[in-house]
Amino acid sequence: MNLRRSYDILRLRWRSLVRRGQVERELDKELAFHLAQQVAENIAQGMPADEARAAAERALGGLAQIQEECRDMRRTNHIETLANDLRYALRSLRRTPAFTVIIVLTLALSIGANSAIFSVIQGVLLRPLPYPHPDRLMRIYFQSDTQPKFPLNPNDFRDFRARNRAFESVAAVTRHDVQLSGSGEPVMLSGFQVSAGYFHMLGISPARGHEFSTDDELDGRGRSVILSDRLWRTRFSADPGILGRTLTLDQQPFIVAGIMPPGAHHPGNNFHAVADGETVDVWCPFDFGADTNDRFSHFLDAFGRLKPGVSREQANADLAAVLAQMKIEQGGNGWRVYTLPLFQETVGRTRNMLLLLLGAVGLLLLIACVNAANLLLARGSSRVREIAVRSALGAARGRIVRQLLTESLVIALAGATLGTLLAVGGVRVLVACLPAGFPRAAEIRLDSGVFAFTLLVALLTGLLFGLVPAITASRTDLQQSLRESGRGATGSGRQSRLRNLLVAGETSLACVLLIAAGLLLHSFVNLLRADPGFRPQQVLTASILLPPEQYRDVARRVQFFERLVATLEALPGVPAAGVGSDLPWTGYDGNADGYRIEGRPADYQTMARYHTASPDYFRALGTPLVHGRFLTVRDTADSPAVIVVNEAMANRYWPGEDAVGKRISFRGKPEEKDWIRIVGVVKDVKDQPDSSWVRPAFWLAYAQEPDRGMSVVVRATSAPSVVASQLRQAVRQLNPDLAVGDLRFMDQIADAAFSGQRFALFLVGLFAALALALATFGMYGVISYSVNRRMGEFGLRMALGARPWDLMRLIVGQGVALAAAGAAAGLLCAVALSRWLASLLYGIRGADPVTFAAVALLALATATLACYLPARRATGADPMRSLRSE
Amino acid sequence: MSKPSDLIHGTLDLLILNTISLEPQHGWAIARRIQQVSNEVLQVSQGALYPALHRLEQQGWIRSDWRVTEGGRDAKCYTLTRAGRTQLLKELEQWERMSNAVGLVIRMAPEASQ
Repeated sequence: MNLRRSYDILRLRWRSLVRRGQVERELDKELAFHLAQQVAENIAQGMPADEARAAAERALGGLAQIQEECRDMRRTNHIETLANDLRYALRSLRRTPAFTVIIVLTLALSIGANSAIFSVIQGVLLRPLPYPHPDRLMRIYFQSDTQPKFPLNPNDFRDFRARNRAFESVAAVTRHDVQLSGSGEPVMLSGFQVSAGYFHMLGISPARGHEFSTDDELDGRGRSVILSDRLWRTRFSADPGILGRTLTLDQQPFIVAGIMPPGAHHPGNNFHAVADGETVDVWCPFDFGADTNDRFSHFLDAFGRLKPGVSREQANADLAAVLAQMKIEQGGNGWRVYTLPLFQETVGRTRNMLLLLLGAVGLLLLIACVNAANLLLARGSSRVREIAVRSALGAARGRIVRQLLTESLVIALAGATLGTLLAVGGVRVLVACLPAGFPRAAEIRLDSGVFAFTLLVALLTGLLFGLVPAITASRTDLQQSLRESGRGATGSGRQSRLRNLLVAGETSLACVLLIAAGLLLHSFVNLLRADPGFRPQQVLTASILLPPEQYRDVARRVQFFERLVATLEALPGVPAAGVGSDLPWTGYDGNADGYRIEGRPADYQTMARYHTASPDYFRALGTPLVHGRFLTVRDTADSPAVIVVNEAMANRYWPGEDAVGKRISFRGKPEEKDWIRIVGVVKDVKDQPDSSWVRPAFWLAYAQEPDRGMSVVVRATSAPSVVASQLRQAVRQLNPDLAVGDLRFMDQIADAAFSGQRFALFLVGLFAALALALATFGMYGVISYSVNRRMGEFGLRMALGARPWDLMRLIVGQGVALAAAGAAAGLLCAVALSRWLASLLYGIRGADPVTFAAVALLALATATLACYLPARRATGADPMRSLRSE
Repeated sequence: MSKPSDLIHGTLDLLILNTISLEPQHGWAIARRIQQVSNEVLQVSQGALYPALHRLEQQGWIRSDWRVTEGGRDAKCYTLTRAGRTQLLKELEQWERMSNAVGLVIRMAPEASQ
């Protein structure tokens, strides 16, 4: 039935809205007809014509009222009212352009900041990972008393894969950069070795070709490669015929098995952020090798997709049961299983910082709201007469509140529109400034979710800052305001109390933000001041990966790097050069096995970072020797095994003893030749500049533990660019087919390591500065307003002998009292909140007295500044005028 | 606000719907007819009639069109829609139930007090 009825209703509503004039005319005509009928009947009953008409009109009652009620029945009147209110709001805002511009701009800034930060949070923390059923994806780690997250051993992984019952599929990857040569200059590609079904486990598949099978994992197979979309397009000009063709990787032939679709994300890794998103070029099969007995080397990052309905705890228990079985078969070790959601692993470390930023922009918005409310209050008191007139003309209080709220919503929406434009630019800047290796940076954008958020924020903001002024304005005493002339028509005592409260509140919110910024600043200064344990200036670094076939003989590897270092050190302006397994502050893959200390029981718990280094590695980096000696060229493959340790390792395992001369071993039952002697102790270098502790670490002599991939470190006094080309040339002379990868200066690496702190400091500092500006502005407004109101009083005071200084003191005192109250409240809030900030701080407590004192001083100083101009004006009060006008 | 104080609240709609269920009529005629049929007991004030008519129209129970009366004037005539007819039956039924119930209570009351 109701289709017809709905149609009728819709048609009527539409007509009442669009053909309003006609509908009104018809209503008039209808009522006129009724009147005419009544008149005719009255005349028929014998009344004279004019009396008949009067009687009829009496009987009909208030015509206007009937019309209004009929209009109400149309159910479109609220739309019409809204349109009226909007027109009215726009007109009245246009009448005070300065007010409108200031309020819209401050709102636009803070709403824009909120939208920009929210788009980061939406892209990183809220949007699910770009895989099907991402909540079922897990990371699988080992864990021990000394290692919270440890990679898996290949054979252990295979046992997990075969025996678990909780996972649909499990897969493992390990970083494996390769060198692509054949056409043009050889290049280093960022790559991973992956186990069979890795992409299937993630829920994605190659756009062309197929992924690896378990056959590819077998020893000596695995000569196939899957290309990323980016590499395929940039290097192979998107040629589909590349499938099945052979590429030269690490000077070995590899068959192209597949090409991934664009946007195929490789899940990031907590240690090597470089593995985020699309920075991966190639994937090769993981070769499990022939050794099925090795249970000691741990380097696989393992993933799993849970079966539907299986919880993380159940999966953990399932793997723990498999591990218990493995222990029975292979003998015990101290490992436990530790699984955690992939999402948490990927973005978890950004959570605190992003929430801090959200809190900061939230506070900023709140301050902007308070500021807007304050401005509206001030404006409201100058509109008292207008409002009084309107209510005298019959506007109900609700209508007036509604009208004023429409005004504030118009302001908020204008702010939001402008803010969104700011956010469009802001997000781009934000993404460009994100700390190095920020996860999911590519997924940050302004989308419908962000727009919805902005709209919601705008509406809430408009209500928040509009409601109090609207209610206050509508409550004005009609009689009094109409009676009073323009001069006295100002806010009541209650209103100025409200404005004082708002200004104090604004100051306290700004203080909270300032303290957050101050704490971050203090912490950043601490970071910069801390001794890094090396000197990053004037150091060039690069990475070189020797192809396995050509350098299967370890002596050739040693020879290559020895010659390279010798060539570099022979250059003028190169005081030292060396190679090492890695560089400080570039992340660490957690490979830190336990070892045995001579003279201690076999089950003694040990751990340390594992590195190798050539003799001049430390000198090139600028890491000082604390005790003993550095590695030297005499530490060769044939000489006794030696090692250099850091202070943390020496102090932790040989407290109060001299570590030099002590021996450790990596064998379960070491023979004499398996013992490695500590020859030197070097200065500590942390994993990251803001790490809360120094991990014990050791460096084996490169010649005794040669690897294929090494980082080159060159300390140079000559121009860096010259050294870079000299390095390239030196490599080419030794082997023309080798690529020199990751050419970077050590201070760039250091810079990247500080980027997280700098990012947070910059943004929170920016928001705090804006907040302080808004609060100062608000203070200026309130004081200036109160001075204007009291000019007469000041004139009288002057007439009675007050000096300008007294007036100054009076007015500035008023402002400073407000600021002091606000600051006190703000500091108290900050004490409560700073505990939460502590995880982002370095070298200070949350309740840092220096920061708190500085912020309190700053708040009082800016309040004084804000009061100065109005106070100056007050001292110019004319006593004669005051006397005359009273 | 003029409420139909002379009518039991909510019955005006029923009366209007019932009146025009026989034939389409304009506002004046509806008021007249209700008055006549009720032997001048039910006085429909115009202040209530027209808002009610407009409300019923907006709810889709009745539809209006302009017709020429016998006197040669344009009048807005209201017709019951099909949905309105269903609504009328529903309201009639409800009225029956209500008045029966009220009647029962009123008749019972004196006996109970004795």
